[in-house]
Amino acid sequence: MGFQMQPYGIQSMLKEGHKHLSGLDEAVIKNIDACKQLSAITRTSLGPNGMNKMVINHLDKLFVTNDAATIVNELEVQHPAARILVLASKAQQEEIGDGANLTISFSGELLQNAEELIRMGLHPSEIISGYTKGINKTVEILEELVEKGSENMDVRNKDQVISRMKAAVASKQFGQEDILCSLVADACIQVCPKNPANFNVDNVRVAKLLGGGLHNSTVVRGLVLKSDAVGSIKRVEKAKVAVFAGGVDTSATETKGTVLIHNAEQLENYSKTEEAKVEELIKAVADSGAKIIVSGAAVGEMALHFCERYKLMVLKISSKFELRRFCRTTGAVAMLKLSQPNPDDLGHVDSISVEEIGGVRVTVVKNEEGGNTVSTVVLRGSTDSILDDLERAVDDGVNTYKAMCRDSRIVPGAAATEIELAKRVKEFSYKETGLDQFAIAKFAESFEMVPRTLAENAGLNEMEIISSLYAGHASGNSKVGIDLEEGVCKDVSTLNVWDLYITKFFALKYAADAACTVLRVDQIIMAKPAGGPKRGDQPAGMDED
Amino acid sequence: MSLRVLNPNAEVLNKSAALHMNINAAKGLMDVLRTNLGPKGTIKMLVGGAGDIKLTKDGNTLLKEMQIQNPTAIMIARTAVAQDDISGDGTTSTVLFIGELMKQSERYIDEGMHPRVLVDGFEIAKRATLQFMEKFKTPVVMGNEPDKEILKMVARTTLRTKLYEALADQLTDIVVNAVLCIRKPEESIDLFMVETMHMRHKFDVDTRLVEGIVLDHGSRHPDMKRRAENCYILTSNVSLEYDKSEINAGFFYSNAEQREAMVAAERRQVDERVKKIIELKNKVCSGNENNFVVINQKGIDPPSLDLLARAGIVALRRAKRRNMERLVLACGGEAVNSVDDLTPDCLGWAGLVYEHILGEEKYTFVENVKNPYSCTILIKGPNDHTIAQIKDAVRDGLRAVKNTIEDESVVLGAGAFEIAARQHLLNEVKKTVQGRAQLGVEAFANALLVVPKTLAENSGLDTQDVIISLTGEHDQGNIVGLNQHTGEPIDPHMEGIFDNYSVKRQIINSGPVIASQLLLVDEVIRAGRNMRKPT
Repeated sequence: MGFQMQPYGIQSMLKEGHKHLSGLDEAVIKNIDACKQLSAITRTSLGPNGMNKMVINHLDKLFVTNDAATIVNELEVQHPAARILVLASKAQQEEIGDGANLTISFSGELLQNAEELIRMGLHPSEIISGYTKGINKTVEILEELVEKGSENMDVRNKDQVISRMKAAVASKQFGQEDILCSLVADACIQVCPKNPANFNVDNVRVAKLLGGGLHNSTVVRGLVLKSDAVGSIKRVEKAKVAVFAGGVDTSATETKGTVLIHNAEQLENYSKTEEAKVEELIKAVADSGAKIIVSGAAVGEMALHFCERYKLMVLKISSKFELRRFCRTTGAVAMLKLSQPNPDDLGHVDSISVEEIGGVRVTVVKNEEGGNTVSTVVLRGSTDSILDDLERAVDDGVNTYKAMCRDSRIVPGAAATEIELAKRVKEFSYKETGLDQFAIAKFAESFEMVPRTLAENAGLNEMEIISSLYAGHASGNSKVGIDLEEGVCKDVSTLNVWDLYITKFFALKYAADAACTVLRVDQIIMAKPAGGPKRGDQPAGMDED
Repeated sequence: MSLRVLNPNAEVLNKSAALHMNINAAKGLMDVLRTNLGPKGTIKMLVGGAGDIKLTKDGNTLLKEMQIQNPTAIMIARTAVAQDDISGDGTTSTVLFIGELMKQSERYIDEGMHPRVLVDGFEIAKRATLQFMEKFKTPVVMGNEPDKEILKMVARTTLRTKLYEALADQLTDIVVNAVLCIRKPEESIDLFMVETMHMRHKFDVDTRLVEGIVLDHGSRHPDMKRRAENCYILTSNVSLEYDKSEINAGFFYSNAEQREAMVAAERRQVDERVKKIIELKNKVCSGNENNFVVINQKGIDPPSLDLLARAGIVALRRAKRRNMERLVLACGGEAVNSVDDLTPDCLGWAGLVYEHILGEEKYTFVENVKNPYSCTILIKGPNDHTIAQIKDAVRDGLRAVKNTIEDESVVLGAGAFEIAARQHLLNEVKKTVQGRAQLGVEAFANALLVVPKTLAENSGLDTQDVIISLTGEHDQGNIVGLNQHTGEPIDPHMEGIFDNYSVKRQIINSGPVIASQLLLVDEVIRAGRNMRKPT
């Protein structure tokens, strides 16, 4: 009988299957270990020379990418502490849309250094207080490192935009950043509203078309719809558009209707009135001057017939959001029911045509004049995974554009900022008297991770690079960074590698927050994993990451 | 054994075995929670069945999420959770106090004392402590203008035990202002009138108080304004969509014109209602730049939305019911259930209504309202577990402020009360008690020390040193608490460390009750299904 003296302690009190970990060795060190493993995965993807990862997710979809946000997203990290890092990178991805790798790698490095400190005998709470002081100081210094004159920028000036975007795009598609940046910058500038702070990422669309190469990619002012026109008219220029959200068909009541027919004559008449009705409606649309009808739902056969007769082009866009974007492009107001549109409700397009690109029929809607709020980057590439990766690079570029619309300040890129931070935070640590000075010093050291990884990934000698970087900074030039192509250290203003201040700010802050959160935990209580189908044979255990 | 005769499957534990099981369970639970207590407590990470993460320092959350199975532990946990339901704080202290009472009793019982005598002593000590608290508490005059500083101190004391310092200090102002905002003279405070809304966005320190309402949905029409100033707010509960009739109806028509007429007729009723709203809008907004916002609890279908959008009205549909009440309190006006007799008096007012889009989510802010009686605490944080942590803390903070206003008194914190009460029990009360019950009083008095002891322990200080220096000060007539950073005695009054009177009262009340019940158990019988599977 298992009902004698109950064993003492928490384990006896919890439901079966619970796991309880507590204390330094069991919880803190293990957590750190898991986070280190995770950051080791993403770290090799950092920077322009980062390696790609092949990730196959649970749906057997293949990803070939070096975008950290995608990698950790598809990895489905199980370990709770590593999950905190993943959540931090997701927050970064949502906030800025770039810099997710920096978040994970940096917090991984912070935790790795924390482990050394713990082994030295420091208590996690002292490390946390040191790290908190470190990040506060870092934010202060980062502000000072901002390049003078960069707080005012013309977000419509392509050169300025490209200089700020290049580093972000280059870290995803090295060697192709010039082509991509120019495409993205064009697309973004076209749709930038009067107040740049209101820039909406959604207004830059990406259309991926298989075939060709990156040099075939273009920017279209307007939309590219991956569908064919419904009718036989495939090309219209300079025309008015009527948009109907509810479909182009005979109207119907909400309550079920029944046609009451007593004899054959009535049947015939009914069809005739029906026809007449539809014709009347289509004619009304045609009379209003519209040349194109866009329907949000089904297009009736009979309606289509009359549209053809009145030489109207018919498009069907079944996605509600796509339809809204179409309205934004053309300036049309979507009407719910098929009826005669007001002249105000009509939109305008410069040209709308069905084209065949790479074996796919697409409808290109162009609107060159002002008032256009949507642009599309047409990406060409040889395989799906290349296209996906290009799309992610474009997304990062667009997000960077959005970030620079909010805050255009820039800091030197190519690890120059990190080394300067490392140097100055280290100096700061000497002034502290408490035990946390060790933690601050380690915090400063963690910044070296960025140049080290950049050099490592580029196949350069990391120690040499770091020491010459420090030498450069010690001589007073805070802008010395790594030139990855030549493998030497140079002033980044000659290389023109800049990072956005806001990206760095959020990435470092999220990373420090995540690291502190992981360190603050001293007990983990895990419930039994809920039932449900298990994927594969691997047990969903602690040692997976 | 006699029970075996009655039910061969039943299990039984007698006498000391039963007692020890209970004591062990109480001590075990105490061990889990003790690291939580106080501002220097550590964080626990809870991983749910689905792998979801929760980080907490709050005893209540921990007990709820931990899925405890030991029957004694469940009993203690329930008391502690009940404590939270009543006063919103003090869960950890309750568990610790019960555990310590059991631990102290164990000593005496092992020496052969009967639990009954101890329990009698507890009862006397409890009454004496409650009386002592009446004298000890610091009265706070509330009146019409409550002393904000005192409220802030109480809130800060509570919040610092749940969150790290910088964030706790920021939330202090927020919760105090929120409670004062919804407070109406002569009415009890309804904390439901403070909405907490969360956005996964930016950092935890961006959490702020919105004087108005934040709704977690946006207008559904692309042409409606995203931002409107000087708005009339119509809070309504009117269906603006076509409802199918209850009875099974059908239309009969014989040509397309007839059908068109029916389509039109179908909509007429809804359109009429929409037109009434538009009429009102035209009435109040003609000749000025003011805007008009309709917030409807029921649905608004696309054709109605379209009509409203054309009239320049911002319309929100399917607002939550609880928000309807809050909207009226925040903006004024009244919620209308029919559009038949709309008058401008029904309308509320807000200086600013705008939509904020965050990824896929839309939020509508109704701000700059006149003398609001409802407000929203907008919690921001980079990820869900941060938000959940803040949410729990905000809830406790609000309760603490409310308790202070209602109690009209506070108790000195940082262990000062516990030490003072112990000295009082040992020096005064014990002498008046006859016989062996004295020992019960002594056990109770020593059990009170668990709070300062644990506070010291969590700060990495030496427990015994701390207790000795604190009691020494008390013996000289100084009321002091524990300074968590240095281990030196401090005056909690100067430092602004105050606890809720009702929380402390509840702890003193419920702790001994449960402890007594557990001590008086002499037989545990488990019949039927075996919960602990044979190993």
